Amino acid sequence: MDRVLINSYLKQATFLFWPLAAALFAFAWVRVWVVSLLDMGQFQTILEQFRDFEKFAPVSFDTLFTYQGRVGMTYDEPMVILCTVIWCLSRGSDVVSGELGRGTMEMVLSQPISRAQLLWSHAVVAVGGLAALCLMVWAGIGVGITTTTIEETIPAPSVQIPIFGWQMPLPMGEPQTEAFALSERVDASMFASATFNLFAFGFFLLGLSTLLSSLDRYRWRTIGLVMAIYVLQLVMFGLGKAAESLSWLKSMSFFNCYRPQQLTELAMKPAQLSPWSLRAAMPDSMFPPLVYPGLLIVMGIVCYLAAVYLFQRRDLPAPL
Amino acid sequence: MTDTDDPDCPQPEAIVQLRSLGKRYGSFNALADCSLDIQPGDVFGLLGPNGAGKTTLIRLVMGFLQRTSGSVSVCGYDPQRDSVAVHRQVAYLPGDARLPRHLRGDGVLRFFADIHPLGDLSRSREIAEALELDTRRFVGLMSTGMRQKLALAVVLAPVTPLLILDEPTANLDPSVRATVLELVQQAARAGRTIMLSSHVMSEIEETCNRVCFLRRGKLVRELEMADLFQRHRIWADLPSDERCDVSTITDQIPVELRENVVVTAVDARPSTNVRAIRIDTAGDLAPMLEWIGSLGLQRMRIEPLGLRAIYDSVHRDTLPDPRSLPIADSRADVAPNPSGVTA
Repeated sequence: MDRVLINSYLKQATFLFWPLAAALFAFAWVRVWVVSLLDMGQFQTILEQFRDFEKFAPVSFDTLFTYQGRVGMTYDEPMVILCTVIWCLSRGSDVVSGELGRGTMEMVLSQPISRAQLLWSHAVVAVGGLAALCLMVWAGIGVGITTTTIEETIPAPSVQIPIFGWQMPLPMGEPQTEAFALSERVDASMFASATFNLFAFGFFLLGLSTLLSSLDRYRWRTIGLVMAIYVLQLVMFGLGKAAESLSWLKSMSFFNCYRPQQLTELAMKPAQLSPWSLRAAMPDSMFPPLVYPGLLIVMGIVCYLAAVYLFQRRDLPAPL
Repeated sequence: MTDTDDPDCPQPEAIVQLRSLGKRYGSFNALADCSLDIQPGDVFGLLGPNGAGKTTLIRLVMGFLQRTSGSVSVCGYDPQRDSVAVHRQVAYLPGDARLPRHLRGDGVLRFFADIHPLGDLSRSREIAEALELDTRRFVGLMSTGMRQKLALAVVLAPVTPLLILDEPTANLDPSVRATVLELVQQAARAGRTIMLSSHVMSEIEETCNRVCFLRRGKLVRELEMADLFQRHRIWADLPSDERCDVSTITDQIPVELRENVVVTAVDARPSTNVRAIRIDTAGDLAPMLEWIGSLGLQRMRIEPLGLRAIYDSVHRDTLPDPRSLPIADSRADVAPNPSGVTA
């Protein structure tokens, strides 16, 4: 790694990092606040209407009837995924094909720095930025939990009418509500494993786009290829969930390794299984919980190593 | 065989050494069987038309391309194996130097001065000032010429043993061009080795002590500029005597001059039926004048053999008789020519 290069990449990345960081922090905060706007009872009633589609949800609906579960949905929000993908794709595609496309690679590599140094220096900034963005989501959730107050309707005591089986509320007046801090029901530390999973997801995407960038000379083509792979994997994952006969497709998609809500669910019930466990398999899964983000990290590292190997052995085309 | 090869002369260790170097893209040979030595202190010119392989050769020396065959050594290092060690010894200006557009000129100078162990920001700024460059401007807002000046300020500042310049004066106006050449000559006087590629013959003649010519990926000729300045070309018509022809004249060359004289027949002008010859000489012209005078040649024209003439002889199979061309064409020395016969 090279200090001067890292500084240079930091300056380049700043323009993208701060808007994304602000967007993720603000979104996570607002998302938690939005949870407080919808009464849990009403939310439950609405969600019960969609029981037939529960298989498409990352976790069971019962988990979503808790505040912890609803806040945990933040990690599956398109906004969070989009910002993460934007960072990974833009930084990963920039390293080789971006520099080659701009024609600046030749001047940089004519200095006494190796190609591996250039790639690792870039990786430090990209991975560091990704980690910081994931922490921003967590921080936003944490601030949201601390500052949000929930108002909940207290279920009125009722009696069951014999023969008919009807429930009759005893007080006939307005239902009573109670206000409490969200932090009483939700613990921000429960989202550590989900945050790590988001980081692992981004790390794999960074590695993949770096690998494709190291092979190419046009950045637009690198971005196109990564997006094609992303969409293909998403379709495979969706099909695998939709049809039992195609469930094998699910296990071939890297989206199968992105399970932030399931990890949060485990964190809520530590007595059963820790989300950091490598020993027992997750419910309805083949592997222990830590294997899934671990797989993404390993695939990302493999992509990075392949990128370094290929970049060191390729011809550098002259600027167009 | 090159003009500078001399097996008896002990050569100092070459700073750049190429042996049978080749680069192939599929079935296309970008560079083939190129062997070359550049000695410390040389100002070495690379000449050739577009696509001749000059930039490929330079990029192989820099380690940007993976060679298909042969070997390269720069300051004792193989650029493919140890590019960092090579780049510590080399300052390189690409043919199309592009710099980070989001930085100001001064930011670019600072970045490259920081990243190179021999980088010198104050010298970079001095060079930028000598080239009349406004370094406060963003690179993205600079003209092509300004960006070239900025790249030159980056490259000429670190005092590396080897300086490689790929068309350094492209996009520059004549006054700045002169400044750049002066900076190159300063570097040469300071004992640095320079490898220079250019299309401008006068620049090469002005700055280089050795040149090589590339043609279709092959190194076809290498020569010392000192030798070039001792070369002359004589155009003349043969005497009207039918018995006098190229072979007669070749037979008359004194033994001591035979190594240094080549006589070539030039196609006769059909309208006049005059037979013309070309005599190429190497070395001191004075001892040859007596023999040339004895040949009874007519309409004689003697010209110093410039780089342009060598370039044309390398890239064209034959040369036109400048005496038969209109004045403007004769100066340009570029017209196509029917075939001639070498004695």
